[in-house]
Amino acid sequence: MTSGEQIVIECRGVHHWFGENHVIHDVNFRIIRGEIVALVGPSGCGKSTLLRAVVGTHPPRKGQVVVHPTEEPEGVVVDSPGRDRGIVYQRYSLFPFLTAQQNVALGPMLDKTNIPFRLFRHFQWRRIRKKQLEEAAELLTKLGLGKAIKKYPHEMSGGMCQRVAIAQALIMKPAVLLLDEPFGALDEATREELQRMLLTLYLENRQARNSKESPPHTILIVTHELNEAIYVGDRVLGLSQYWNWSEVGHDRSPGATIVYDAVAPVYDPDQERDFERFRDQRNEIRQAVFEPTVLQEREQFRRFWDEVHNGGGEGVLRQ
Amino acid sequence: MIRNRADRRLKIVLSVTAVLVLLAAYTLVAHLQHLKNPDDTTIPTWRQLADGVIASCEVNHRSGERWVLVDSLATGMRLFLGLSCGVAGAVLLGLLMGCFEKIEAFFAPPMSLLAKVPPTAALAVFFVMVGTDTEMYIAMIAFGVLPTLAQAVHLGVKDVPRELIYKAYTLGASHCEVVWNVILRQTLPKVIDAVRLQIGPAMVFLIAAEMVCGDVGFGYRIRLQSRLLNMSVVYPYLALLAAFGFGVDFSLRRLQRLLCPWYTGR
Repeated sequence: MTSGEQIVIECRGVHHWFGENHVIHDVNFRIIRGEIVALVGPSGCGKSTLLRAVVGTHPPRKGQVVVHPTEEPEGVVVDSPGRDRGIVYQRYSLFPFLTAQQNVALGPMLDKTNIPFRLFRHFQWRRIRKKQLEEAAELLTKLGLGKAIKKYPHEMSGGMCQRVAIAQALIMKPAVLLLDEPFGALDEATREELQRMLLTLYLENRQARNSKESPPHTILIVTHELNEAIYVGDRVLGLSQYWNWSEVGHDRSPGATIVYDAVAPVYDPDQERDFERFRDQRNEIRQAVFEPTVLQEREQFRRFWDEVHNGGGEGVLRQ
Repeated sequence: MIRNRADRRLKIVLSVTAVLVLLAAYTLVAHLQHLKNPDDTTIPTWRQLADGVIASCEVNHRSGERWVLVDSLATGMRLFLGLSCGVAGAVLLGLLMGCFEKIEAFFAPPMSLLAKVPPTAALAVFFVMVGTDTEMYIAMIAFGVLPTLAQAVHLGVKDVPRELIYKAYTLGASHCEVVWNVILRQTLPKVIDAVRLQIGPAMVFLIAAEMVCGDVGFGYRIRLQSRLLNMSVVYPYLALLAAFGFGVDFSLRRLQRLLCPWYTGR
């Protein structure tokens, strides 16, 4: 399970700071192919900064983020954004000047052709373009947006936009899909609908693993909603605001670090959520991640790899 | 209430009424003026205006030219060339300033300074630098609109959310593709709006320059006929100028609707 080719993304001693402000402190984690990892933490603790380090827009000041795409299993150090890491933001998730279909087809266009080709080999480009638009329409139909393919983002609801944004990232078949609080601005019903969509993607991963294939979707989702993290993730990572939690006065050691890392229950998309089952884990996360006044070692909460090696994981993590 | 929507038919009726009131007011003023002085040419009657239009359109017995034709061609060509150069330069400069902070640091201060200098006041500088031929008019319009337009493009580029740029990179875009396929596409409607706003100033610069040193063109003709108090020719020329400006503005709005349906449809 821990062999190099199955790890998709690795953070090795990642630090980040802006001037005097130390935001990230010695973050280390590895994500296995096919996982949906939920990253939780208090507001302003550095979740988005860590995600930006993984995207490559703000590479770490110290340490490394390494991505392992299938075609380069030995890994590539992240120093800029690349097509192997798809991103969906809470806001500005789509290009406003493109329809849903064009938004989804934009990635293949940029990835497979360049400006001179599109300008000077027009007829060849039109044939390729037609195929790319058909593929985009197919994917949107699969995600339940068949009727919205010709709509512009301002003509769609927030939920539809986020769904298109996920399709836009998925069509690129990225090594890892990064979601930065993607459902934060949505109403409860739409949020649940999209959470179920993520579980459908996870179901595909489980089916692929059962048939000895490589799981197609690896997802890192940043959220501040604990129920969401436990529901959609098969693993929850918790980022605390201060790294030296055993010292009195936590504000003396600014810099977020991973203080919680454990498996989470796996749900089928059509399965009802069991909030009772969430309760214990939610309380545990709250204690480890959200309460800096609790002066105790957090090692007991970083048990993911032990759990997986002892057969504690579910879904794609099952040994 | 503020910003309450008005009925479409009512809006059309109000617009037509405004034009009719203007025409009626002119007719009244001209009539009163001609009661005082029947030979007056400063506020011509509709009949005098019609004569002025005919005089502008028919072949002039001295020059052998149709004034309106040669003037429209000269002014139109100067405006087109000047605006084209100004817009092209401003878009390029604005894009570069919006994309690269070093270029922004270098060009932004002089641009904001130059934007405050009216080109009509610097007419003599243009005479000295590029002479008094067509190049002078082009340079005047181009340098007149460039600083303001470049600033507008610069701000438009700065307004493009960083997230969209990052996302384009994750979709495999090169730097050129980010500029061409994302920044320019997103900024285009604002650029068109900024160009629309610069049509008026560009025409002011051109007419002023033509009045001072032209031998053909709207500015030249208006100055010449004003001196002779031939307002029956001047007013139709002003109306033609207004129609020309309105036509360019209308075409740009149509172009914006055609190229940016996402922007105009919001």
